[in-house]
Amino acid sequence: MYSRPRLTTWLYLSPLHLLLLAVLTLPSFYVLWLSLNQSTYGTGLTWVGLDNYRTVFADGYFWRAALNTFFVVNGVVYVELVVALALAVLFVSGVPLRGLMFACILMPYAISEVVAVLVWKMMMDPSIGTISRTLELMGFGLLNWSASPTIGLTLVGVINVWMNLPFTFLMIYSGLLAIDTSLYEAAHIDGATRWQRFTRITLPLLVPTLLIALIFRLIFAFRMFSEVWLLTKGGPARMSEVLAVYLYEHGFRYGDFGIAAATGWMMVVGSLLLASVFLLAMQRSMRGA
Amino acid sequence: MHNSFSPLERFVRGLFLAFMLVWSVGPIFFIVLSSFKRQVDIFVYPPKLIFVPTIDNYLKLATQWNGFFHAMGNSLIVAIGATVLAGIVSFLGGYAYSRYRSRLTSWTAVYMIAVRVLPPIVVTLPLFPVVDRLGLSDTHILLILLYATFWVSLNTMIMKNFFDQIPYELDEAAYVDGATEWQLVTRILIRLTLQGMAAGSIFVFVYAWNEYLFAMIFTTNNAKTAPLILSELMGAIDGTVWGVLFAGVTLQLVPVVLLVTLARRYLIAGLTAGSVKG
Repeated sequence: MYSRPRLTTWLYLSPLHLLLLAVLTLPSFYVLWLSLNQSTYGTGLTWVGLDNYRTVFADGYFWRAALNTFFVVNGVVYVELVVALALAVLFVSGVPLRGLMFACILMPYAISEVVAVLVWKMMMDPSIGTISRTLELMGFGLLNWSASPTIGLTLVGVINVWMNLPFTFLMIYSGLLAIDTSLYEAAHIDGATRWQRFTRITLPLLVPTLLIALIFRLIFAFRMFSEVWLLTKGGPARMSEVLAVYLYEHGFRYGDFGIAAATGWMMVVGSLLLASVFLLAMQRSMRGA
Repeated sequence: MHNSFSPLERFVRGLFLAFMLVWSVGPIFFIVLSSFKRQVDIFVYPPKLIFVPTIDNYLKLATQWNGFFHAMGNSLIVAIGATVLAGIVSFLGGYAYSRYRSRLTSWTAVYMIAVRVLPPIVVTLPLFPVVDRLGLSDTHILLILLYATFWVSLNTMIMKNFFDQIPYELDEAAYVDGATEWQLVTRILIRLTLQGMAAGSIFVFVYAWNEYLFAMIFTTNNAKTAPLILSELMGAIDGTVWGVLFAGVTLQLVPVVLLVTLARRYLIAGLTAGSVKG
């Protein structure tokens, strides 16, 4: 039962779209303009055409950051989805003290990136950390994440999963709750095993939820900044930078907004490509009568 | 649904749950516990679970680090401001998208979600010179605008899903009784969508309370928020104030952990309002 929009409809929508326009849309077009100019902190613009893009593409640090982003994003997102799915299935099939357990699992969602990095940094400190010393005693050797970009980025991934798992779990759990339980009962009567019920009923019906969770997480992991910045500052020797850190270094450290904007515009395009599948599906579902 | 699990299955399930509990709560427990330890006890290995608790760290925080409490106040102002702003904006938007449809509204909705996809760091570049010129740098209002904007898209969708569940007959009945649209929305429908508002509010509040990137780039003094102060103390650490830092972190995280765990029902409600109806 929908009506055609009236003038008042647009009034109801205007605060929303004014905010988006002022804070996101106009600035993102201005980023495109900045990326075609050379400037210091966004002032004193000089037109340089595509020079900034050429410089970025020729910069080994950019490619390093892009590769790092690719590996961390993929490493984080798939591990997180599988664990969140397993956990959600576990909760739906019943756990003791469910409310309390649920609250515990959700807790990291409430923690600031700053605090998350602080506590993992502490626990993993090569000389005083509880976990790193335990790992060392178990024979894993000394995990010095400040000297090795690979170990540093692995720790970044661990922190990222730690902070985001609750939300992914919530999304998948909500999706599971929406599945009609009579389907399971019917399957049970027909003699389906638990595994068959999972692969033939749960998974197929959960595909849309899993896809949304996947796209969400890809987009959010792609913009990762704080964990890397607070943990390694992109070091040693800029080897653990991700794209957002590369952008920040050039923009706010060297004041070169042209290079930063070129990187930023590529991040915008990348994010939109990741999201396009979801956006098109959404447009179809909201087209209306 | 009654599942009967074999002993082995029960063991594996228990092990997985136990691991996930330690994984989730362990680090938080570690911080809170350490904030009550004396400096010498914090890094003892293996860690002591039984110790004589002290509130020295909290006393030192209160007497020596005034800036921290100022920052906590800023965080509270900014988080409440963003929550209220985003609440009003997405309530109105959700109503409009639920009751009115055309090709144009559907495209504006897609656009609304699409801009939310932009990485926050990208908009810091164009905003940096502009904010400076408008005199908005280092103000609460700027952070409130930024934080609210990054959540209005999703919260509008959540609100739309809640409005969708209210039958249109209710609107018609109100109109027959002579109510205006504004009265219908602000007197009647608002009460039926409070759950959705609660869910959306938690998302915004948690984000604004914890955010780091915008706070780092756009505040220098007046509007500095708690996460930023904590990150500075963490960077400037000279090995003597770990306990005090943990006390500050504990004060920063406890309110929002309580909020999330106590209001978890609303989080699920917010996320299921959409998926239940398929």
